[in-house]
Formats: sequence, C-alpha cells, structure tokens
Amino acid sequence: MGRRILSLHLPRLASDLAARHSGRGEGPLAIIARQGRGDVLACLSAAAQAQGLRRGQPLSEARALVPDLATLPLDPAAMARALDALRRWALRYAPWVAAEGADGLVIDLTGSAHLMGGEGLLADDLMHRLAAMGFEARLAVAPTQGAAWALARFAPGPVTLAEEAREAIGPLPMAALRLAPETVAALARLGLRQVRDLTRAPRGALARRFGADVMLRLDQANGALAEPVAAPPVAAPHAVRLSLPEPIGLTADVMAGLARLLERLCQRLAAEALGARRLRLELRRADGTMTQAEIALARPMRDPAAMAALFARPIDSLDAGFGFDALRLSAPLVEALAPAQLAGDGRASGADALADLLTRLGNRVGLDSLIRFLPADSHIPERAFQIASAVHAGAPGAGAWPLGPERPLLLFPPEPLAGLTGAMPPRQLRWRRRVLSVVRALGPERLAPEWWLDDPAWRSGMRDYWRLDCAEGPRLWAFFTPQAPGWAVQGVFA
Amino acid sequence: MTAGKMKGRGQDLATGVGYAELCVTSNFTFLTGASHPEEIVARAAELGLEAVAITDRNSLAGVVRAHAALREIARGIAAGGPVVIRGQAVQGEAGAAVGPLPRLIVGARLVLQGEPVEWLALPVDRAAYARLSRLLSAGKRRAAKGDCLLTLEDLHAGAEGLILIALPPDPLTGAPPPTELLRDMLRRFPGHVFVGAAPRYDGRDTARLAALARLAQHSGVPMVAVGDVLMHHARRRRLADVLTCIREGLTIERIGRRALPNAERRLKGAADMARMFRQHPAALTRTLDIAGRCGFSLDELSYEYPDEITNGEAPQRRLERLTTEGLRRRFPRGVPPGTMEKVEKELRIIGALRFAAYFLTVNDIVAFARGRGILCQGRGSAANSVICYALGITEVAPDVISMVFERFMSEARGEPPDIDVDFEHERREEVIQHIYETYGRHRAGLTATVIHFRSRAAIREVGKVMGLSDDLLASIASGSWGWSSRAPSREALVELGLNPDDRRLSLTLELIAEIIGFPRHLSQHVGGFVITKGRLDELCPIENAAMDGRTVIEWDKDDIDTLGILKVDVLSLGMLTCIRKSFDLIAMHGGTRWDLETLPREDPQTYDMLCKADAVGVFQVESRAQMNFLPRMKPREFYDLVIEVAIIRPGPIQGGMVHPYINRRQGREPVILPSTDLRAVLERTLGVPLFQEQAMQIAVVAAGFTPEEADRLRRSLATFKRMGTIGTFRDRFINGMLDRGYDLPFAEQCFAQIEGFGEYGFPESHAASFALLVYASAWLKRHHPAAFACALLNSQPMGFYAPAQIIRDLRDHGVEVRPVCVNASGWDNTLEKRADGKLALRLGFRQIKGLREEDAGWIVAARANGYPDVESLWRRAGVPPAALERLAEADGFAGMRLNRRDALWAVRAIRAPKPLPLFGLEGEGIVEPQADLPQMSLGEQVIDDYLSLRLSLRAHPMEIVRPHLPGLTAHHDLASGPLAVSVCGLVITRQRPGTASGVIFLTLEDETGVCNVVVWPKVYEQFRRVVIGGRLLKITGRLQREEGIIHLIAGTVEDLSPMLGLLGDLGMEAIDPTEGRGDEVRRPVQARELPGNHPLRARSQRGMRHPRDQAKALFPSRDFH
Repeated sequence: MGRRILSLHLPRLASDLAARHSGRGEGPLAIIARQGRGDVLACLSAAAQAQGLRRGQPLSEARALVPDLATLPLDPAAMARALDALRRWALRYAPWVAAEGADGLVIDLTGSAHLMGGEGLLADDLMHRLAAMGFEARLAVAPTQGAAWALARFAPGPVTLAEEAREAIGPLPMAALRLAPETVAALARLGLRQVRDLTRAPRGALARRFGADVMLRLDQANGALAEPVAAPPVAAPHAVRLSLPEPIGLTADVMAGLARLLERLCQRLAAEALGARRLRLELRRADGTMTQAEIALARPMRDPAAMAALFARPIDSLDAGFGFDALRLSAPLVEALAPAQLAGDGRASGADALADLLTRLGNRVGLDSLIRFLPADSHIPERAFQIASAVHAGAPGAGAWPLGPERPLLLFPPEPLAGLTGAMPPRQLRWRRRVLSVVRALGPERLAPEWWLDDPAWRSGMRDYWRLDCAEGPRLWAFFTPQAPGWAVQGVFA
Repeated sequence: MTAGKMKGRGQDLATGVGYAELCVTSNFTFLTGASHPEEIVARAAELGLEAVAITDRNSLAGVVRAHAALREIARGIAAGGPVVIRGQAVQGEAGAAVGPLPRLIVGARLVLQGEPVEWLALPVDRAAYARLSRLLSAGKRRAAKGDCLLTLEDLHAGAEGLILIALPPDPLTGAPPPTELLRDMLRRFPGHVFVGAAPRYDGRDTARLAALARLAQHSGVPMVAVGDVLMHHARRRRLADVLTCIREGLTIERIGRRALPNAERRLKGAADMARMFRQHPAALTRTLDIAGRCGFSLDELSYEYPDEITNGEAPQRRLERLTTEGLRRRFPRGVPPGTMEKVEKELRIIGALRFAAYFLTVNDIVAFARGRGILCQGRGSAANSVICYALGITEVAPDVISMVFERFMSEARGEPPDIDVDFEHERREEVIQHIYETYGRHRAGLTATVIHFRSRAAIREVGKVMGLSDDLLASIASGSWGWSSRAPSREALVELGLNPDDRRLSLTLELIAEIIGFPRHLSQHVGGFVITKGRLDELCPIENAAMDGRTVIEWDKDDIDTLGILKVDVLSLGMLTCIRKSFDLIAMHGGTRWDLETLPREDPQTYDMLCKADAVGVFQVESRAQMNFLPRMKPREFYDLVIEVAIIRPGPIQGGMVHPYINRRQGREPVILPSTDLRAVLERTLGVPLFQEQAMQIAVVAAGFTPEEADRLRRSLATFKRMGTIGTFRDRFINGMLDRGYDLPFAEQCFAQIEGFGEYGFPESHAASFALLVYASAWLKRHHPAAFACALLNSQPMGFYAPAQIIRDLRDHGVEVRPVCVNASGWDNTLEKRADGKLALRLGFRQIKGLREEDAGWIVAARANGYPDVESLWRRAGVPPAALERLAEADGFAGMRLNRRDALWAVRAIRAPKPLPLFGLEGEGIVEPQADLPQMSLGEQVIDDYLSLRLSLRAHPMEIVRPHLPGLTAHHDLASGPLAVSVCGLVITRQRPGTASGVIFLTLEDETGVCNVVVWPKVYEQFRRVVIGGRLLKITGRLQREEGIIHLIAGTVEDLSPMLGLLGDLGMEAIDPTEGRGDEVRRPVQARELPGNHPLRARSQRGMRHPRDQAKALFPSRDFH
C-alpha cells in the first residue's frame, strides 16, 4: 500500500482567528501587516474578499474601496500558537502531524484512514470540525506530500482525494510546485506555466537553467523522491513525580519528599540551562483528592535548598487529610538561566540578594503587593514618578532620578488655601486648621501644564511653585496659579 | 548711543534700565527655535527692546530675514500705516504705536566640538563680521552638509573683534565652573569676553545667578544677562515641544522632560528681565553696553562684482566694445535707429549703476558654454535687453517684445538686474564646475534654498508626533489636494469623515497650520551663483552641498535680493539638450548644420502644424490644455507663441484672462482699451493684461505708483506670505485707479491679476525666451520629425509624454520605427537611412528597462560585423548574464532569428543559478536537445514588450481587446458621426488641475488615436474608484466638438482593465502606459509639488528640489489647467 498524505491549508487562518477572538460578525475584516513604508492586507475575511479586496493590497487603497473595513494587525506569534494547537488536535487522525508553512498542516494518513471509515469520511469529519471551530479549510489527500500540498492550495475544490500524483498535479500552475517566486516568474517568461509544461524541455537543460530545485520539487511531487512528514517530537513538561508506598502526613516528611523531587527537577533544569520562576507542588491524598502548594520566585532559580526553604510555609499550612501518597512537582514558568561563575564566598551578589529578599517577602504577602517608586519622564510633579511592581522593575537603581529642582517627600492632591490671591508668597496662611507664618519662601518654579493632555487638575493653568518654610516647622510645597489667582499646598518637605 | 537717548525709550519704570536681548535662537536653528526671525524682531520692537541679536547655532542663515523685517517695519512706520509681519500686526502695549525700533545685532551661537561651554559671537564691525563668517565657513567646509565642526583652536584663531559671551553649563547640575577657560579667553581677547547668565525659572534662579556671579568674580569676566530665547511669544511653547519631538523622533507622549517646563524662554521686556536680575543690575546694563559696541549692520556689506575677466580693460569700455561688435554681427546691414537708441540708454544706465562687470560675467559664462558646444539661452528681464541680444546671451530679437527697461533696473533703486541662463540639462554641471574653477570656491558659491515645511510634510511630521495613525494622516494629506501652504480646512475634514471638534485633532491641525512655513533645512538653489570680487566667505558662511563638488552659501535668493547682491542663475533645461541633439542628428545625416540663430524664422508650415495642435513633444505647448488652446489661438507669428506660452497659466486662468483674450482674438468681442493711457501697455495683448510687466505698468500708469513702488509691490507679492504686507498696497492700488477714472470692477480685476502673478508670475521676457524654444522645437518636429523624436527620446526623462506616446506620434507621422536589435542598436536611439532615402528610427538600448549604459557600450564596441548568437555576444562583449536577460526580454535577439523565448532559454543556460560542473568557461560545448517552448500569442508579445520597453511596436493592446467589445467607436472616428458614443482605451494621462474645480481630465489611447475625456465632479464621485484606478476604461458619454477640438463628456465610466487579461497572464500589471507620468489623480503628491517649484513662478521660488527632479519641474505644462 502506497503512502497517503493529507495536506490541510487554512487560507484565512489570521482573519478566522481574529474573528474567533473578537466574536465579530460578518463585516469585512482584514489583517494588516507592515510592508516597507506602508501597511498591506495580509489576510482577508471572506466578506472582505467579496468586496473586491485582495491580499497584498495597500491598506490606503483598500480603505478607499471599502470604507467600513475593520482591520487588525497581523500577529504571527498568535498564528503560530494556533497552528500548533491545531497540530496537536489533528493527532486524533494520525500519529504524524507537522505544521507546513504558516497556515497549513500535513498529516501522514498512511494506514490510519480506515479508522475513520475511509479517506472520504475522514476528510468530511475534519472539514466539519474545523468549520465548527470557525476555520475555513482546504485539504487534499495524495500519495506524496508535494502533490497533496499542491492540490490543497491550487485544486478547484476545497477537498481533493487523488489516487495518483502525476496526472493530478499536471494542470496546476507552476507555483504549485513550491518553487521560489523568481523561478516561477522566470519559467513563466518562457511560457512554462503549468506543472506539466516541464515535460516540454529535457530535464538536464531545465536543471542547468533553473537549478536542481525545480527537478527536486517535481520529483517529490511525483513520488520519485521520498519526502517524509517531519512531525516534531513532543516536548515534555518540567515535572517530576514521586509515588509513596504509604501515605505521609508530617510536614517534615513532605519536605523530605520535596527535597528529592527538587533535586531531580533542578538537575533537569541545569541540563537545559533553565531556571524556574514558579514552582507548583501537587499532592494527592490517599482518598484521591488533590491539593497543591505554589511559590513564585523573583529571579529564575534552580537552587534546591533555597527553593525548599520557600516551600516551608505553604506546605505547613496544607491539610494532609488521610495523608499524601503521591507528589508531583512542576515548574510551569521557566526562564533561561546560564550557569554562573561561583563567587569566592559563595554568596549571592547584591542584586540577587535583593531578589531573594523580594522572593521571601513576596511569598508571604504576595509578590504583586511589593511595589517601589521609579522616576517617570515628566515635569509635572504628579507624573514625575511611577509605582511599579518591585519584582518586575528590573535591577535596583534602574532609571536614575533626575537632578533638578527639589521635590517634597510627601505629595498629595492640591489643598487650596482660602483667601490668598496675591502673586507673592503669603506671610501667614491657614493650612489644615493651623495658622502658619512663613519665614522663608524659595521660588518660584514655574510649571506649565502638559498642553497635549487635558488634565482636569491643571485646568487652572500654569503654576508657580514655592517652598514655604514656616516658623511652626512644616516646610510646605505650595503653588500660585496666575491665570486663576489662588494658592494651594501640594506637598510637605521632610 | 547717548545716555539721554537711552532714557527716552525702552525703560522699565521700576528700575529705569533698558534691555538688549543678546541670545535668541530663531527657527533657522532648524527644529529647535520656534519663531521666525521676522517675528522675533517684530516682537522686540513691540517690547521696546534696545537691541536684539539673532544668534543661531553655528549659522547666520536667519539674520537677513530679521534685517529685512526690521527695514519693513521702519518703512511701515514711516509711511504711518499699520505694519504687518507674517500676518501679525506689530503694535506696542495696549495697541499703541511702536516706538523707536530695536537695533539688530548679527551674531551666531558657536557650539564647539567637545566643549561644554557655548559661545555667543557678536561682531563689532565689518572686519569682525568677516572673521566670524570665515570661521563658520571653515567649520562648515570640513563637515558634512548641514553640520559645522569648530574647535576651541578655531575660536582662538579667528575671534578677534567678536564679543564673546560664554554660556556655561548650568552651575546647579554640579558641573565644574569653567573658570580657567574664561580666564584664558579673557587673556586672548581682553575686553571682549563675558559670561552669559540666563534664568531658568525653576525656582533656583537666585542660587543659579549667584553661582554665575561667583564665576564671573573668580574669572574676572563680567556677567551679562541673556534670555536664551527660543520663541517670540509664549504661545509657541507647544510648537517648540513638537519641534523637539520631530528632532528626536518622538511622539509627544514620550517627550517627557525634554519638553519645555514652561513658556519662559520667550522674548521678554526690560521690566521682566529687571525683576529676574534685581540682584545683579549691572548684568542688565551691560547688555546695553555690548549692544552699543556691536555697531555692525548688514547694510555695510558692500558687494563688488568680479572684474578680472576684463584683462585690464575698464568693464564699461569692454562692454561697450563687445556690444558694438555684437551689433555689427547681428545687424550686418546696419543697426536700426530705434535699436541704437535703446542700446545707448541701456549702456548709460549700466554705466551709472556700474553693472558692466555683471553683464561681462554672464557673457563669459555663455561664451564658455558656446565654446564647449553647450546650447544655452538667457531669459529674465535683463536678458532680453538689446545688449544681451548683441552679446548672444539671448536669441530673442529686441523688437519682438516691449521691454520696459525700468522693470529690471532703475537708477533710483540701484537694484541688480536679473539674467537667468538655461543650459542643456545633461551638461550644466560642466558650466558649474567651470565657474568654480574660474573664480575659485572662496569667491563663487550657489545660493541656498530654504526648504520649508509645506502642508504635506507638516501633516506627516506633526501628525506622527501627535500620535495620529498613518491611515488618518494619509487621508488628511490626500484630502489636501491643491493647498500647499495652508492647513486643512474644517470642511475638508468633515468631508473626510473626521470630527474637527476632537481635541487632539484640532490641536494637531493648529500646530500644522503653525509649522507650515517653518524652515526645515537648507538646500541648494538649482543654479543661482553668487560671485564676488573679494572673498565670498567674508560675505556669508559657505557650506558643502549634498552633491559632491558643490558649495552653497547660507542665504537664499530673497536674502541676496535684500542685500543687493548679484547672482547669475545657471539653470538647466531638458529641451535645450533635445534641440542640440536634434541639430547634431540632422547634421550627421547629411542635413544643414543649424543653430538657434540660423533657424528659418516665421516658417508658415510650422505654424500650420501648431494650429492643428500637432504638438506632441513641442516645448511648453504639448500639454493637453495647451493643445486644446492652439486651434483656437491659431498662432501665425512669433508673438502669438509668446502669448500662448504665457496665457495657459494659473495666473491668467485664475484672473479670468483667457476667455476675454480668445474672444477678442477671434473677433467675437470688441477690443476695448480702458483708457488711452493704457493703450501702449495693453494694445499688444488686445486690452487683456497677461504679463507681469503689464501689471506693473498698470500700477504705474493707472494707479499712480512710482516705478519703484510698483517693483516693491511685485516683490512683496513674491514674499507676501512671509511678510504679510499686501493689504496696504491693495487699497492704494484700487483707490489710485478709481481716482484716475477707472471703474471698480476693472481695478479689482487688475489687482486680482497682480495677486495671481504673485503666485505664478509670468513675465513677458521669460515668455519670449521660451517662445523661441517653442518655435525651434516645433520647427524641428515639422521638418525633421525623425531627428526630433530621436533627440527627444535620447533626452529623457523630460516632457509630458512617455516614450510610448512619442513613438506613436512619430509613427503617425509616417516614420518607420525599428525595434531594439543587438546587432543594430546603440545606447541612444539612432536614425537609419532607408532604401528610399528617408530616415527610420532605431530604438536604442536605453529604452530597455534595467539595462546599464556601460553594458550597452561594450555590446556596441565588440560588435564588429555582428554577433551570430547569444553565446558569442556574451563572450565577446563580456556583459553580465543579467544584461543578456534584459536584452532577451526586450526581444533584442530577433535579428539573429531567435525569438524572445528561445533567446531567454539560451540566456538562462549562461545565467544558471549554479553552473553545473563541466559547463564552465573552459568546459566542452554540449549540444543540448532543443526545448519545445510554447509559442507566444500576439497578446503575450505585447505584454512582454510593455514589460521591457514600456511600449510595443507590434500592436496596441486595444487591438486585441476590441473584438470582444462590440459597440465601441474608434478614436479616429470621433470627428464625425453621432455625438453619443462609447469609447474604450488605455489611460495615458489623468489630471486634476487645481484651477478646474475638481474636474478630472483623462486622455485615452486606442490603436487609432487619442480621446480627451472630461469627468465632471458628480460623475467622478459616482465612479471614483474606476476613474482613479482603471487602466483600460470604457467611457460612454456625449461628444463636444468645437473648433476642431473634441471632448468626450463622461456619463458612465467602466473599468475594463481585467480585459487586458485577454492578452496574457500579466496583462493588467504590465500595461501602464502612463509610467506614472501625467497621472496626477493617482499620485497627487507630484501635482502638489510642481506648481510651487515651477521655474517660472515667482522667481524667488525657483527650484526647491533636487537637481535630478529638475527636468520634470522644468516642464510645467502638466501642472495646471
């Protein structure tokens, strides 16, 4: 029995995906990609194509033709993810499935089609399921991968079952041979436009002029040269497990088990030059129920001892029930971690030490609860800093604070000072129900609103900021708004 | 300046001190300064400053504009009227009149390599100015275009006589104070060094000024107050931020602390400065001392024309002698007395104004070109003087046009004459290099052209900064058709479906409007040369141009005019190349050796041809509008051509001059002259003012302007956008005419026309020079069509039509055109003698897309008795296989009985991606079995012809398509038969002139001829997509036949482009006969760019584009109408 290869082509993968995600209806949709200086249509929904748009068309032109065209940017990563998901899904039909290009799959059906009741029923099933998922698809089954590829893309109907390769692909255009576009164009200039036209010229002469690739592709399609389906190996998850002959219930026992698991996991991570950012310990109780403990790490790590220490608290709070009889430790999030040169004293560097501190703190209060201030790029005091997660903001000291006019330690929304309208700093003022007398005023620092934003707080126009040193102690940061005369306090210096 | 005078003005009541601003960055520090120099001096006048300095970064580019604006304000005040600078009235506090004006201090801000301290350099006198200019020139010449490399050593060497104000880095950032540097400079230039203190308004100025005062104290260098001004008014802060973003490639959201924290870097009055410097009053009074010492004014720049070419002979004597000799040559039978009188008058004025050397320089350049066989032709008002005719600078006889001598030179003004010389576009560089060689780079330089933000660039750049999406910007920009210096209007936005009330959008539009007109960078003028007697770099800084071997001064044409510096315009013109090549071809094939002077004049057959609008390829009159006008104009003599050239222009069209003129010419309307005074002015143009000179004369004769005032009116028109001074002239003009008894409509019409000339001025003197080339090219086309077409093709790219149309026209005139052949063609197209003695045109290799001239040269050189096969060509000529492939694609091997596919098959064997072993150069010849390639259909042949040559000699695509389309009328049948027709053809031009209110003009071509189609806006809206995008259109509508002109008024438009698929696979992509030319509708960019750069527009605007685009720009006829 000869080989049977199924090629699946998803001509609208990008737009179908977008439609699936957005739940958008029937309107014309185009996926756009940047090409050179302009945007072009990379993928079209059926509705958009029906309006006369075509792939590769400049977006501006398409907009002129179809004003209500909805557009989304092309996301190749999402496409690749979706294709990979489909590849795994297609394993239901045969064990060898590989992605083909950015929008197709190839399945080696040899010997497995009868399980679905034959190729015809298998093809129907595949098409129905894909249609239900919202994907437009074309497929072909042929004795060779090349022929199946060609027929899936260039045959007249969406489903083609070819018993034989050579005759089936003869009338297809030259591009069906998976040749470089330049080669196709060069052949076309000689009048060789269909696959079968290649028989008009001697093989040697053709190979001399267009390279061996033409003949290679032709032979692959005709079956004269073998071309196996290169299905990728399945990547194993970073997980290790431990089954216990007797249930255990003591924290120390669980910790001991964990230590053995960590040892194995870290060996594997080290072999792959990876470090874990998150670890999950799943524990199965003797009655079959599950519980789990999870830790997060502020830096990628594969140090069993340090990790075990972090697990101590969550494990302590677990309910053992009838005891655990199986443990599974996995690292759902890993990052690259190159082997590091050990320092002489064997202690972590400053940055790592801070990260470890954050890890310890974070596993108590939650890593997301740890925040820090970072400088932000603005003259406006309220916008001159930002609050960032302490873990993700990079190394300490990232983005140095600018050298500039002094800023108060405490900043709060402006608190107007009633009854003051003069441009010069007052000698006395009432603030927070205290009467303060100003002994020194430094300023003014004039700040104008960021004109490109319409910030309600700055609608009173520009501000002249002063530092008012009061005899009573507080050193206030107050401002005067000349365009709407009035004073307000916005901060207190230490 | 006396103390008493100082008290009288510019005083601050609080402290009694005036102020002079010594540090101003104008927008000639590109993408940094946020105000025009004009605005800065106007604002300084309003604030009552004692003086204001323009100190741009390593540049003097903006100072002349400030100088001119100050002069304008002074003149306006003297006239008692309101003064308007750049659209803003200049007025003091509370609307009061402006008091005594500030003085302008010329200066520069020197930024030195690797030095944290910047220096303001203010020359105290002419000698110091010369040193500053030389210093900047030296820095610029050793750097790339637009850059300046200066070191502290340069400053040590060349700063004598300059007031040097150090601008140290902010002392509060912890930078060490440059005490030693200041001490050292003070030692070198005692009494000339100061330290500038600029407040920053960040709340720390007290500390900052104190630190600077300490620095001054320690170094012994006195402190002076400066504003470090970036804008003339606080409202420009937004624009300053946008400029920062453009400079740094940011969006406004990401500008962060690079934004200005406040608007305090604006020009300030004495009171504000006194408040800031209340602790340091001496720093303030020192500004006045320094201003007092800087006595240099740009008015002192005396300018002398070079005179060494006279060999010791006095220039005037030499000019007289050469003129007499020339007259003897021009008029062998004696000079007519009227002409003699003119010559004497011209010589007298030239003598009085001492411009003889200028004329002699132009003469020298022209003589050089003549000696090299480069065709040239002068134009411009002075060029059409009798002297220039006698010297051979122009061929337009003085009796042809009614030159008004005062137009270009008047004794009262002493302003320079104006001669532009056009040279062959392919050989102008020789002339330019000759000028550099003769006078030296230190004495000759091209003038600059200031590239301004125009609407499209402004929309794109500001839009990007403001974060508008590309789509949105593209649609705003595409809606901007027809306006180049205005922001999009509200209506235009609503039309585009945008919400003009959106804050971000309206902000963006305001900024776009504001930035339009800002200088973006300096570019080189197309050919305006300034040549001096002394060193040019002491007059103005010189910098390198983008092109190798060119140097450019920093000032543009207007600046030079302002200062009364002479320049010679060395321009290029494609038609001159074409005419010279025609002359060569005629002589080469046994004809007479013609030149412009000996061409038979007033040839009736030539005029007959023009009357039939048979003008494809003829200079200037080949555009569709001109061709439509020719049969109505029916030119019979040279002056008719002068009018023809001048009348189909936006000026006359918008001024409504065309219809009255043609009606009068055809006798359908009586010729009425508004008054006897104007008879002399308007008689020749049948009472309709057409030329710039006439508009000026009307101003003199009918509105009572003095000739000087009229000329000033003309100049202010050219620059009125910049200065905004037109309003006052308008009232004077109209009142003047009313006082003299003219009616209001006529007066308004005259003024409207003068305004139109401001945009697209067309003087009679230019028209006459161009008309001469119209005549010469028409004569060549009539009598030597093959040679003319051949020369035209060899001068490409130029003109309105693509090679396909030129060849088609040639074949319609019965000349055989032969295909490209490797055994017969040269790089250029050539003429071949036929058996019957006629000439045939052989297409040259230059028509083949992608073939290099060098390869073509090798093919011709190694040809000998011809190549028998592809292989021998490859081996003998040694051209790369890629070139062979181009030749095969062009069917160039047909002569060796190899059709296109067989030739390609043979070439591919040579051009294998990877040569197989044993097939190499030394390998055995292998006899290959012949491939059975499918034969090409006629349609496929045509497609491949178009792909390779952009034209086909085999068949017109319509010929193949027509059998499938019943019910069509062929284009040559349109002259008779019913008026309701359907036609079909390839689109060869597509125009949407700004003057035609949205009408689209299409020209269709089929195998029998062309058809002119008019698409009214309503129909256009209905068929927009088809009209813009179609290549093969079927149009049904009604014909209009008038005086031999046939128009089809489109009713319905169908896109039949897919029918081109009948020819073969690539039909639709391959066949685009417009080659992007003449297709303004699809590519509105060009349409917008061209009118502004029109060479004959206001002369100040000429050539703001790269020289390689010049050829296109010089053929303006496609731009409008």
